[in-house]
Amino acid sequence: MILIPCPWCGSRDAGEFAYGGEPTPRPDPRTATREQWRGYLYLRNNVAGWTTERWYHRMGCRRYLTVQRNTVTNEVRQP
Amino acid sequence: MAETGVVARSPIAPAAPEIILAGWAVSARRSGAALTVTDCTPMTKVAIKAAPVGATAERLEVPFGRVSRQTWTLGDRDCSVMVVGSGPGEWLVLGPPGSQVSLIHQLSTLAGDGDLVAVVDLSHGRALVRLTGSWAAEVLAKETAMDLGDSVCPDGAAFRSAVAGLAADVIRDDRDGTRSYLVGCERSSGQYLFDSLLESGAEFGIEVDGFVPPDI
Amino acid sequence: MKRQTRRLDRQPGEVIDRGSPLEFGWNGRSYPAYAGDTIASALAACGERVFSRSFKYHRPRGLLTASYTDPGCIVQVGDEPNVRGAHRLAEPGMDVRSQDTWPSLVFDVKAANELVGRFLPAGFYYKTFIRPRPLWPTYERVLRRFSHGGVVSPDPLSPELSSYDKRQVHPDVLVAGGGPAGMTSAVAAARAGARVMLVEEEHSLGGHLRWGDKADLAALHDLRSLLAASGVEVLTNSVVFGRYDHNHVAIVQRGLTHVYERLVKARAKTLVVAPGLIERPYVFAGNDVPGVMLSTAVRRLINLYAVKPGDRAVVLTANPQGDAAVVDLERAGVEVAHVVDARGGDDLVRVLGRGGVKGVELVGGHRIECDLVVTAVGWTAPLTLLTMAGTVAAYDSRAARYFPGTATLPDDALPAGGVVGDGTLDELVAHADAVGREAARRAGSMSRREPAAEIPALPVDAHPELFHGPTHGIVDFSEDVSSRDLLTAVEEGYSSAELAKRYTTATMGPTQGKLESVNVVAIIAEATGRTISQTGTTTWRPPYAPVTLGALAGRHREPVRYSPMHPWHERHGAAPLVAGAWIRPDHYGDPAGEVLAVRKRVGIIDVTPIGKLDLRGPDVPKLLNLLYVNRWSKLEVGRVRYGVMCAEDGVVLDDGVTGRLGDQHYLMSTTSSGAASVWEWVESWLQTEHPGWQVHVTPVTTSYASINVAGPRSRELLGRVVAEIDLTPQAFPYMHVRTGRVAGVDGCVLWRIGFTGELSFELHVPASYGLHVWETLLDSGNDLGVRAFGIEAQRILRLEKGHLIVGQDTDGLTQAFSAGLDGLIRLDKGDFVGRSELVWQAEAAAESRLVGLHPNDASVVPEEGSQLIEAGVICGRVTSSRWSPTLHRSICLAQVATEFAEPGTLVTVRLPDGRSVPATVTEHLASVDPEGARLRG
Repeated sequence: MILIPCPWCGSRDAGEFAYGGEPTPRPDPRTATREQWRGYLYLRNNVAGWTTERWYHRMGCRRYLTVQRNTVTNEVRQP
Repeated sequence: MAETGVVARSPIAPAAPEIILAGWAVSARRSGAALTVTDCTPMTKVAIKAAPVGATAERLEVPFGRVSRQTWTLGDRDCSVMVVGSGPGEWLVLGPPGSQVSLIHQLSTLAGDGDLVAVVDLSHGRALVRLTGSWAAEVLAKETAMDLGDSVCPDGAAFRSAVAGLAADVIRDDRDGTRSYLVGCERSSGQYLFDSLLESGAEFGIEVDGFVPPDI
Repeated sequence: MKRQTRRLDRQPGEVIDRGSPLEFGWNGRSYPAYAGDTIASALAACGERVFSRSFKYHRPRGLLTASYTDPGCIVQVGDEPNVRGAHRLAEPGMDVRSQDTWPSLVFDVKAANELVGRFLPAGFYYKTFIRPRPLWPTYERVLRRFSHGGVVSPDPLSPELSSYDKRQVHPDVLVAGGGPAGMTSAVAAARAGARVMLVEEEHSLGGHLRWGDKADLAALHDLRSLLAASGVEVLTNSVVFGRYDHNHVAIVQRGLTHVYERLVKARAKTLVVAPGLIERPYVFAGNDVPGVMLSTAVRRLINLYAVKPGDRAVVLTANPQGDAAVVDLERAGVEVAHVVDARGGDDLVRVLGRGGVKGVELVGGHRIECDLVVTAVGWTAPLTLLTMAGTVAAYDSRAARYFPGTATLPDDALPAGGVVGDGTLDELVAHADAVGREAARRAGSMSRREPAAEIPALPVDAHPELFHGPTHGIVDFSEDVSSRDLLTAVEEGYSSAELAKRYTTATMGPTQGKLESVNVVAIIAEATGRTISQTGTTTWRPPYAPVTLGALAGRHREPVRYSPMHPWHERHGAAPLVAGAWIRPDHYGDPAGEVLAVRKRVGIIDVTPIGKLDLRGPDVPKLLNLLYVNRWSKLEVGRVRYGVMCAEDGVVLDDGVTGRLGDQHYLMSTTSSGAASVWEWVESWLQTEHPGWQVHVTPVTTSYASINVAGPRSRELLGRVVAEIDLTPQAFPYMHVRTGRVAGVDGCVLWRIGFTGELSFELHVPASYGLHVWETLLDSGNDLGVRAFGIEAQRILRLEKGHLIVGQDTDGLTQAFSAGLDGLIRLDKGDFVGRSELVWQAEAAAESRLVGLHPNDASVVPEEGSQLIEAGVICGRVTSSRWSPTLHRSICLAQVATEFAEPGTLVTVRLPDGRSVPATVTEHLASVDPEGARLRG
């Protein structure tokens, strides 16, 4: 199981967290087209390599945090 | 709080014989075993939320991950309390059974200017169990992936992590030099937590010891 | 009882305790042993040579390696199948039996397989027993008799075999392997200040030193003393079976008294891998006949167990360990008839004998009588843990084995001992000592500013490449795969190691490739005209050693959640309903009666699992407006409002009521299944999108026991137990909240809401008093006819009122306009979560709607999920369906395509049993009191 470095609690097993996916900016709801909105809902880059992702420390401090993870090697680092 | 005669019950069924102490149904069992587990749910538990850095945090003086034993004047008496830095911007205050009203009153005076503070009584919402004995870390090591070594989790340290599959607050609070931990979880899983510790401790001869207030 | 005819006099390094004799059973007869004997060594001491039958051909098999990996000695011990007989210690009274032999080990009918062997080549099961298909059940019955393995009893296993547990550890340095290199590294790391754990597969530490000469035994004694004084935690009879990301290392620990196996999960800072080398068998005709053994096997038998492995031996040797075996054999009184020195080009052609070695044939036809053949042709490095850590193995043809590629070693895994190189014991120890210090330094035990320890290089000895002789023999002993089978695979086109493995099943048996993978690759390489490096190896995957499913599962225990009223429910015969982790009362024996009690008198239900969030701060209205589809800016203190939350795709997420208890104090309720997810949802918006908003959220789901008191007499009942609150309709209208004292308990919250459609109040009582309040309500309302009701009755009641349940009447695609919530959604109130998609849904007009449905035959209760079909097209489904005791007819809610949603429309319901029944769309979702008069009374 990989370790996630929580900025508050330190390194913890990934099982303590809920995966939050790539942080995707919320388009302005007043002006967003259907394509832009659905891109926000469903489309992700899904890179093989370093990616930024969000995790929620549900068994610990219950804060949201962002890390960078290499999806090929599973190295994890602070952004 | 309730009228006299109304008895509060913990989610953990008291080991026989059962008596009423401080308005709670507790176990009257006494054990001299080297490893014991005690239901400490009757203790008062009050949660505070405030900015992690701010006036309230300064006044509480307990950083995240530490526990501090303090003496507060509640009403007309001096009481021992434990202030736990249980999360960033989150504290848990543990006091003797039945001291919610005075504790909450005391805490409401803490709010600093411009600092939004929420004080919520969780006395009934959290189960609390104490595990004491030189084997206590061995028992917990079966239930949690946290490193309980002295360098990482010394006396007076606090953390929240998965224990027996539950999100639990763990406080290391040694008693007379003997290793001791307080483990707290949301109330409805209290019996399950207690049973898990009994099962994991069976190998070491664990026994149930009844709660003796104020137990601070 | 048998006699120990082959037991030798005391050996200097023996592990048996002659002062502790014992007896055990083998295939029903009694055998003697000493404490410290394995099952195999005790049997061998009595002259037994055949312990099992091979997998496919049921050929007799004896000891090959005399270690854990020995494929010839897998036996059944009592209820326990597949026990490694050359590793398991003999115990008094043990009942050991051979596996899958009929009628006996000696005369096994299934050996007839061998006679038809030419019709059972590798992969035969891909080509045979396929047609005719109707015969599959017969083929299965017959083939099952021939499949291998022990017997698992269908009865519950004894506690000794069925209890497991787990333990989590955090060593700075974890050393896998307890031979001289592993022991030295462990001591060195401990001296450098690290917390060290050492794991060894065998019952004692020392590796090959244990069966070595006097100098080896003396060195072992010294190492053991150093280790004992070092503070290293030692686990013997335990195996490191997997290394996962970030040095998460899995160990199975055996030989404990209170559990059968323990899974030790280690998060190590540095891992030292010192598994030693495993001896390779030689492939030639008759190489699996009982009496053919590896040099390490005979040295173990002689030196550890004082067992004479044979009377007259022929030894094939290509290295110093084989030469040392010759010395040990002679010392044990075995006549060494001939030594075949492979270094001089000599070779063995075949072994003579079927049930046991009778002799050998050398190159040139010369035959020698003997009863023991010993081979020492090479070593395999078990690099599994290192390859799991990312190392790429590289083959060295000069040394005839694989080495860990140094360029691909990760920082936190270090090899030591035989897998790195050869050399004298002093050289191996010096190397391991440096590795231990470096492992401690990398673990942070020493200051990181310390320079990296200089790890000396180890020499690598040349070794002839010897994989097979001039004849075909067994390559994979567990799977009965011969070199001929491998050539067949190559002929059929399976010429890569991975494909040939899968086609022949070589390396897929209990030995997991340890004895055979290099021979497999070498034979395939030769057959395809490539080098071993070019052919590549198979991928080594966890587990390195077998581990029971029980150890992986640990204790079967999952979080269980109980309400404070649970003891009452149990005492009163509640049928338990498992709802997530909660145990809830489904009913108390008569749900229809419970429904009528609520409609006519008063009922109480335990709804404690309902999610409750305590919200405080000046910005709570902003939060409510953001997350709910309706307006929340003006909720006065003391008022309660119903709200629905949608996700950003407009799909209904959750519903509940939120009440304002004070100026900046609100209590939000959610569905019980949504309690945790809505809390996380709220936190995600506050933390990631609006960190500046002043709101504190505290979950109080279990702080309160929640009781719904419902029915025309509910106000009367409450009046008897409530103090400080005016319950009259004028003082306490519908959708209001009050706080006060109930049954003597302060701090209770009451709100007037109505899921069941009757006059009702929901009480939230500080949980420790929940049972007291519950019992007080029942005692106080006896004359009113108060009755407890359960989840089933509540479902019927709310269905009679047409109230939707999120997740039941909506699914993962139901956007709010399809859920009958049109009146609630305020598209004009500014941004809220899901608004964009709801605007588009409104523009396009919702494709489906939630409607009430009454089957025309009132006695038909359609199954939930039944499809609605019109003109051969599915146009909807029944989402909720029950028999209504109040109306004496069936009632449903359904999702139906908008064109069929008009009241009065006739639709066809297709029941799962194939019947089609007509049903009519009702005017209102509610079947009982659609105007809602009873609620507001």
